[in-house]
Amino acid sequence: MIVFERVTKVYGDNTYALDNVSLRIKKGEFIFLVGPSGAGKSTFVRLLLREDLPTKGRIMVDGVETRQLRTREVPFFRRQIGTVFQDFRLLPERTVSENVAFALQVVEAPRREIYRRVPQVLHLVGLVHKSRSRPAELSGGEQQRVALARALVNNPPILLADEPTGNLDPETAWDIIKLLAEINHRGTTVIVATHEREIVDKMRRRVVKLERGRIVRDQERGAYGSEI
Amino acid sequence: MRFSTWEFYLREAGRSLIRNRFMTLASIATVALSLLILGAFLLGAANLNHIASTLESQVEVSAYLDEKLGPEEIEAISAQVQRLPGIRQVNFVSKEEALERLKEQFGERRDLLTSVEKNNPLRNALEVRTQTPADVKPVVDGLKKLAGVAKVSYKEEIIERLFALTKAIRFTGLAVIILLAGATVFLISNTIRLTVFARRREIAIMKLVGATDWFIRWPFVLEGLCLGLLGSIPALILVVRFYHWLAAGVYETLPFIPLLHPASVLNRLQPLLVGLGILVGALGSAISMHRFLRV
Repeated sequence: MIVFERVTKVYGDNTYALDNVSLRIKKGEFIFLVGPSGAGKSTFVRLLLREDLPTKGRIMVDGVETRQLRTREVPFFRRQIGTVFQDFRLLPERTVSENVAFALQVVEAPRREIYRRVPQVLHLVGLVHKSRSRPAELSGGEQQRVALARALVNNPPILLADEPTGNLDPETAWDIIKLLAEINHRGTTVIVATHEREIVDKMRRRVVKLERGRIVRDQERGAYGSEI
Repeated sequence: MRFSTWEFYLREAGRSLIRNRFMTLASIATVALSLLILGAFLLGAANLNHIASTLESQVEVSAYLDEKLGPEEIEAISAQVQRLPGIRQVNFVSKEEALERLKEQFGERRDLLTSVEKNNPLRNALEVRTQTPADVKPVVDGLKKLAGVAKVSYKEEIIERLFALTKAIRFTGLAVIILLAGATVFLISNTIRLTVFARRREIAIMKLVGATDWFIRWPFVLEGLCLGLLGSIPALILVVRFYHWLAAGVYETLPFIPLLHPASVLNRLQPLLVGLGILVGALGSAISMHRFLRV
């Protein structure tokens, strides 16, 4: 489903953010992308979302190469990938359900579809009772659930989570990860970029470790450290 | 496109107009002021042009005839003149009639003319009117060639001055209008830049969840259009009021000045002003999107 083929990304004066990275992610997989900050995780995310193009190599999602996309096709490409970030990126002056509905409105979904999907996905993340609250009235974990609901409301085949637990306490973080696992269980391909050792070790899923732009380890049912 | 999508655009545009109240008002006021000045200039130029054309169409060419010509010969020349291209009307004015007119012009001082009355020095003349102002020159040339015509004269200076004045007004008007339009476009684009800035988070999220570029742009376009449209309304009202007032005043006190009729000129001016307001608004948002909304 997602293929990175000898992908290199060079920024400015010889900074190799990614260096000859090759990776295959199958449909329905759950994968942790780990490594210290500056290892190239963010670049990986940017390239996968086609916010940027690789300097060398190819990235393909569902058989479509990102470089081949025309500018006006990029939005439709992005609709395949739901994203959540460390900082939630919610709109503070809108309620929970408006935040989620926003993602459907901007892709011009019919109103009936919006009324149907928003409660559904809020139910999935367990926030139906907070649908009229504003982000400021919610805890960090709840805010991340809203972000998750927004990412999922379009039914994207891929969910990309960039440090989704970075701002959360361990217990809440664990709830979010369990939610991600459940989403994966329903068939969505899930990619989690993180540097939280505990979670990765506990989950025992595929782990791809980046260091200074290179893949140093790719392990099924792996852990954060290499010693296991 | 879906109705709900347009509703979304309009709501977003309305939100930012209200959120940036101050800039919104400033933009509307600038648009209004610019269009007001534009309207005044256009009305001024149109009227001067109209006055000049009216006067020009009244230009009379006088062909003074040789003194010794008898009535038949005058008749013959008159017929020849009638056949010249571009002639509307030919009038024979005898030297006696000419003297009468002169007396009228002198009014109470007509006694000054008693000395010339016995030996009238004026000449018989043909007064010629042309169909269009452009016919004046060829007609004058044609008249000069006719045998029996001693002298041809026409009043052109005042008309030429009027046309020059119209041209000058048009020219300065154009310069002022271009400057004002530039300032207006700049202010609108600045207002929209503020909106783009205020909405940068929303824009980022829209891009993230796959909104198309035009979906992101439309609310800003609408905002610009609204600013232009809202500014054109007060300008329109003021221009219309002012011109009605001016026209009424002129008709009453200076009826010989041929002002354009309010209904006819305003009918053309109103859509122009609204159209320009909208155009300026659209241009402002286009510029600001080009510079600040690289999607």
